[in-house]
Amino acid sequence: MTVVITPTMIGQVVISGLLAGSLYAMVALGLGLVFGVMRVLNVAHGPLLMLGAYTTFGLFQWLGLNPYLSLLVSMPALFVVGVVLQRLLVRRVVDAPELSSLLLTFGVSIALVNLAQLAFTSDVRSVEYLTGSFVLGPFAFSKSRVIACAFALVITAGAFVLLKKTRLGKAIRAVSQSREVAQVCGINVQRIHLITFGAASALAAAGGTLIAVMVAIQPEMGQVYTFKSFLVIVLGGAGNYPGALLGGLLLGLIEQLSSLFLTTQVNEAVAYVLLVLVLLVRPTGLLKGRAG
Amino acid sequence: MTTLPWRLVGAAAVVALFGAASAQAQAPIKIGASLSLTGTYAALGQNQHRGYQLCTKHVNEKGGVLGRKIEFVLYDDQSLPATGVRLYEKLITQDKVDAIMGPYSSAITEAVANVTDRYKMPMVAPMASTTSIFKKGRKYIFMVQSPAEVYLEGLLEVAAKRGLKTVAIINEDTLFPKATVQGTIELAKKKGLQVVFVEAYPKGNTDFSALLTKMKAANPDVLGAATYFDDALAITRQMKELNVNPKMYGVTVGGDLPKFYEQLGRNAEYVYGATQWEPELPYPGSQQFAQAYKKEFPGADLSYHSAGGYAGCQILVEGVKRAGSLDSEKIREAILKMDYDTVYGGFKVDQDGFQVSHKMVMFQWQEGRKVIVWPDELAAGKIRFPMPPWNQR
Repeated sequence: MTVVITPTMIGQVVISGLLAGSLYAMVALGLGLVFGVMRVLNVAHGPLLMLGAYTTFGLFQWLGLNPYLSLLVSMPALFVVGVVLQRLLVRRVVDAPELSSLLLTFGVSIALVNLAQLAFTSDVRSVEYLTGSFVLGPFAFSKSRVIACAFALVITAGAFVLLKKTRLGKAIRAVSQSREVAQVCGINVQRIHLITFGAASALAAAGGTLIAVMVAIQPEMGQVYTFKSFLVIVLGGAGNYPGALLGGLLLGLIEQLSSLFLTTQVNEAVAYVLLVLVLLVRPTGLLKGRAG
Repeated sequence: MTTLPWRLVGAAAVVALFGAASAQAQAPIKIGASLSLTGTYAALGQNQHRGYQLCTKHVNEKGGVLGRKIEFVLYDDQSLPATGVRLYEKLITQDKVDAIMGPYSSAITEAVANVTDRYKMPMVAPMASTTSIFKKGRKYIFMVQSPAEVYLEGLLEVAAKRGLKTVAIINEDTLFPKATVQGTIELAKKKGLQVVFVEAYPKGNTDFSALLTKMKAANPDVLGAATYFDDALAITRQMKELNVNPKMYGVTVGGDLPKFYEQLGRNAEYVYGATQWEPELPYPGSQQFAQAYKKEFPGADLSYHSAGGYAGCQILVEGVKRAGSLDSEKIREAILKMDYDTVYGGFKVDQDGFQVSHKMVMFQWQEGRKVIVWPDELAAGKIRFPMPPWNQR
């Protein structure tokens, strides 16, 4: 009954892990941004991803739009949703104790899932666009996952460039480092908060769009990504943006390798045990020491 | 002397009782049930409800039973076991129904069976297929459909007949699929097949690459997956991606839904699935049932839940007829002795109320249709064997 694990198998699983991990990184970057800038842990991040997936499904189903092209719709649309949420709700809890923001975003999360159930029913949907894989020697690269990975890397890189090079990005990082000082320097903090929450939602939406081509779409599909993103930003170091990329890839690898060497049942457990270890040994995350 | 007035009172009471009873003879027999009309199981519970409704109509058209019409007292348990318990308690103690029918799902049946058994109310439970419910010493509950353990029997039997040797089994790590796996391992042993790989995955799992990579290395002839719907979809897609090519591949729950093919398209070809019932099965009255259902509920979903509900109600009515009364013990005796053909297939239970006659059937997706391929006596077509490798399709 024991399966002998060969290097080829490990190679295959590492490929799958990195492909999944790049997507986790992009989605988690959104959660990390909101946390870094506002100290709000947005539990509704996953449900926002779900809305992105439904946007893609809707456009594909009714207009026959190429699911990857629908990134151009889902990201701006969810940016707007994010801005509205921030303006109406999240703004009120930015300075409140952490429990308030957790409760608020938890409420938003439940509301979004239930609204989606009402609007789209709990029927499972899927975007049947791309199946099969590219084969390279003994390794298979799932087409939908390779393309998702490519988009995720490009979008993540774009976000990094935006954060590092542009005035807006510098302002976001400034608010993230010290809101008071940023304010004194003339940065409109409220506006940065709006843009940050919008951008984070757009990153979730991008994740939703890319995931829509890979797995079944349903109202509850998002929550698991809230948890994964949380893991990623803690692993990488909360508030450390390159850390999200490292954390994402790491989570992808951990899931797949523990699934290969142990069993699929325990892969989440392994990831969370690792989370606890990181919190015990290096509570600032793996990268915090180096980058700021 | 003082006893006389009491006798008079007693006699008056007896007369009054008989009077009431004869008046009631005209009233319909009340059958109580709760169903999941809202909540998680709403779609399936509503299908079962239509089965109960159509059965009521047909029974009453034929003059009812014991000379009385039947009527359902039906509540919505919102897919919640605790609500179901409360409703069955109410049905028995306040509404004082004459008989009981089961709710939807194993979980709710398990919960309400404690109530119905306590009050010694016989309950035909059409939509419970978890074996343990019937192995707890309960005396008044009767199973209608096939248990989880035999869902993959067809797959194994055909595999053994075709000379295949090795089986891999994967499953969602929840109650029902786990029971399927246990049963499948037993059946494989009996049929001389070697189980070379068994692994469970957590509910909601979306990435099966590592699992399938490992399973591919075990190189099984047959893959049986104890699934629900999303996982069946994801596993099939990733098998294609990783070019995993067992000679036979079957899923349990979810593979029978039209959506399975709608979403996977031609990738669903050659996949085997298990089902409790299909409209085209040659059971007595099955096709007439399907036609009547479509006429009665135009556009409504028709599934095994509908047929099971209908058949369950037929079984109860037949039990009452054979018992010749509404006495719980007599109905119980009658149902235990029944060997009865319904639109849903055979019905016969052992002393525990556990189903021993109903058969699962296995189909294979062929050109977008579910073609029943097992058991032989019900088969509508030949199997397409083996499943061609994904990269040669």
